[in-house]
Amino acid sequence: MTALTRQIVAIARPGVVWAVHFIAIYALISAACAARALIGHPTLLIAGAVVTVLGVALCLWSVAAPRTGEDGDLRPAAFWSGLIFALAILANASALFFFQSCGG
Amino acid sequence: MSVSETPTTYSGARKGEDKSFEGVWDTPKGIHVLSSVSHRVVGRRFIYTGFVFFLIAGVLALLVRTQLIVPGNTFLDLETYNQVFTMHGTLMMFLFAIPILEGFAVYLIPLMLGARDLIFPRLGQFGYYCYLFGGIIVLSSFVFDAAPDGGWFMYVPLSTKAHTPGLSADFWLIGITFAEIASVTAAVELITAILTARAPGMSLTKMPIFAWYILITAFMIAIGFPPLIIGSILLEAERLLGLPFFDPMLGGDPLLWQHLFWLFGHPEVYIIFLPAAGMVATMLPTFVGKPLFGYGFAVAAVVSMGFISFGLWAHHMFATGLPILSLSLFSAASTMVAVPTAIQVFCFIATLASGRPKLTTPMLFILGFLSIFVLGGLTGVMLASVPFNWQAHDSYFVVAHLHYVLIGGMVFPLIGAFYYWAPHFTGRMMSERLGRWVFGLMFVGFNTTFLLMHITGLRGMPRRVATYAEGLGWDRLNMLSSIGSYILAAGIALFVFDFFRSRRHGPPAPRNPWGAGTLEWLYPPVAPGFNFHAIPPVESREPLWDQPHLLETEAHKVEGVMHGIRDGRRETVGCDPVSGKPLYILRLPHPTWLPMIAAAGLALLFGATLASAYWLCAVGAVIALVAFTLWGWEPSDSGVTRDAGMGHELPVNVVDRRSHMHVALVGTMLVLMALFASLIFGLLYLWNIRPEAAETLTRPALLPAAVAVVLGLAVALFGQLTRRAAVRDRFAGATVLSLLTVLTSLLAVAALGLSLMPIDPWASALGATLWAIGGFVAFNLAVLTYWGLFNAARRLTRRIGPGQSMPDFNLATFAKGCGLMVAVAGAFFIAGAVGGVG
Repeated sequence: MTALTRQIVAIARPGVVWAVHFIAIYALISAACAARALIGHPTLLIAGAVVTVLGVALCLWSVAAPRTGEDGDLRPAAFWSGLIFALAILANASALFFFQSCGG
Repeated sequence: MSVSETPTTYSGARKGEDKSFEGVWDTPKGIHVLSSVSHRVVGRRFIYTGFVFFLIAGVLALLVRTQLIVPGNTFLDLETYNQVFTMHGTLMMFLFAIPILEGFAVYLIPLMLGARDLIFPRLGQFGYYCYLFGGIIVLSSFVFDAAPDGGWFMYVPLSTKAHTPGLSADFWLIGITFAEIASVTAAVELITAILTARAPGMSLTKMPIFAWYILITAFMIAIGFPPLIIGSILLEAERLLGLPFFDPMLGGDPLLWQHLFWLFGHPEVYIIFLPAAGMVATMLPTFVGKPLFGYGFAVAAVVSMGFISFGLWAHHMFATGLPILSLSLFSAASTMVAVPTAIQVFCFIATLASGRPKLTTPMLFILGFLSIFVLGGLTGVMLASVPFNWQAHDSYFVVAHLHYVLIGGMVFPLIGAFYYWAPHFTGRMMSERLGRWVFGLMFVGFNTTFLLMHITGLRGMPRRVATYAEGLGWDRLNMLSSIGSYILAAGIALFVFDFFRSRRHGPPAPRNPWGAGTLEWLYPPVAPGFNFHAIPPVESREPLWDQPHLLETEAHKVEGVMHGIRDGRRETVGCDPVSGKPLYILRLPHPTWLPMIAAAGLALLFGATLASAYWLCAVGAVIALVAFTLWGWEPSDSGVTRDAGMGHELPVNVVDRRSHMHVALVGTMLVLMALFASLIFGLLYLWNIRPEAAETLTRPALLPAAVAVVLGLAVALFGQLTRRAAVRDRFAGATVLSLLTVLTSLLAVAALGLSLMPIDPWASALGATLWAIGGFVAFNLAVLTYWGLFNAARRLTRRIGPGQSMPDFNLATFAKGCGLMVAVAGAFFIAGAVGGVG
């Protein structure tokens, strides 16, 4: 993989991580709060915490990864992409921890 | 993987060997101009048609404002008012905003990237005619006194047969679904063009910022439109066939429609905003005289926006009774999208601050965009807050917000873009003096109309009411808003006058009239139909600034690759998607009527459905199928190498994962997977929220479902083996394996059908959804079957010769996608059979 390809992947990866995390949180809320009630609130919290920690770590990888031999103009793109999506993941997950049940 | 094929004498389609370079690229004359496939012709048609729809929708808006100018007005009756506001929203969102921006992209992208045309010109023409015919179907509803009146979102149960018994909802569902084909085809075309057809040296990091905006927008269209397409098909199936997808009495749910609609509807706002912001990011540096500040920041912001915009759909559903946890999730995502938006705005402001901006007409519209759009963004953040949203829901505050975002974020940049790129369309400059008047009228008119609507909404006036009582505190505000709308309309009318006036009386535009840095200004307006005699190597994002020799030399003498013609064919250079390094010669089709005939066949199919004339539907389908078959029935172009100039000896239409055909196929698979995922979402949604209904459903048959999974894997395997045999030039082996792929596809269809046999699709929503999934997969397998037989026939008739493996190479990718869909569908059927659906 060339440095440029690595850089493009580094820009897009946090977005994919955010998308997977969003789907996971939405699925967990749906599983806990819809009529079928597939999981309980504790399971929702634990599973939500695990995917959030994983998601933030993967996003921050783009922020912290060393960048040698890469295009100067796109260097901030990978950095900011990682940071924006890490924040977005935390924001999405925050809903889980502010409420004691599905109804608030 | 790159495959070196055996060089042979050229056996591809021969079309213009007796013509000069200019002759090969000439636009057909007279009535034959309708067969033109040039991106310039097709792009202009999209733009002009979109603008006509804008004017019609604008007149409808004026009717709405006239009705509301005084309390208790009887200018329009209630039914007509409903039709007028529904058609206003529908035309603006579906037939104006997206198509006109796609038109600009279709027109500008090849010029900016250094390509001679978009790489699927026939697809462009096909998309345009689908858009035109779809738009005509929607508009013709007025003629039949059946204009849709259920709002541009067509919510159920209002739009079901029980509550809307006439044809009005059918006009909307069928016409819009048909027109959406254009958006999806343009998206695939633009993704592929941006990734595979750029000037030598134009790596992704040297790409003009406009191309990044369009690339992300195109991906969003490819993923965002399928939920609405699926929703529309399900709703039409409910109306036409009685399948109960949204009927709560049979386990359906009206909210499923809202989910599917807004899964499309919210990203659509960004699909509209991003190309317009891309225009701003392109025009702004020209008038500041400095490159865009923070190119990397902007790219990161655009990518982030593309992703996050898909996590906001339910903020349109805050008042539907979703769990508070869900509301909080969507509220958080809706707030977060302000971050990438703000990054872009800061990039624009920093660019402004880096130089001394020239206050030209386009620049005024950019400033108007910044001020209006930022206000719209701020009220958007307010509406992302659940408690405020509940208060403002369905009030005129929301109407004000959405118009600030859409008119500020899209119409102002668009009019600025018309002034900026007008020389490309007319060869002349538009009037600066009239342009300032246009801007002034639009800016004052817009703010008079919509700023006041915030207050009207906060004072409690609900949306979509045809009239209101006197003395509620809304009278004066509504009158002023209506007067503002007339001023706004006067601005648009003056713009139209200026555009037509400039066609005859505007001063001729010089070469690069604004002193821009991007390649579309390399040739004097109007650039020739082939865009470039030779495609110059590019060293920066602003080649006309950083490579001064490009403008110092006469355009047709600029050095580059692909000078002249080879084999009498239209062609451009295909590149590596990341580095932009020339990879192959990309052969392009010549003018043809076939895409128009295919679109006309489909129009007949869709239109006859409205009239319940099913024999005509069959005729339309046959016409389309024959046209598609003839479209593909050409000798394969690959298998030879040619001199491309500047030391490049390149293969023609290389067989490679990076080739335009393969990238386009991957883009198409993305659309198909999004369609499939929308159906799976519907299935899981209904299963999860209506467990009591799910328990009563008959189970699918287990054994056929298990066999279907195995056959799905076999389809993928045989597809891959066909590719291997073709690439290794095993002619007979590839034919046999291709037929085996076809056979397993047919068996997979049978297995899926047998698994679903015990289920009555009319008895429950879940059963109907399972059948819809089976039907969708079967449709794809039918396409695979047709494609496999088509390839075999082409091989037997020597349309594909030895050493030409591209058709089988691409078939394998499609077979793998179909195999995956069969396996997933089969797995769901097995889960239902083993565990019981309930």
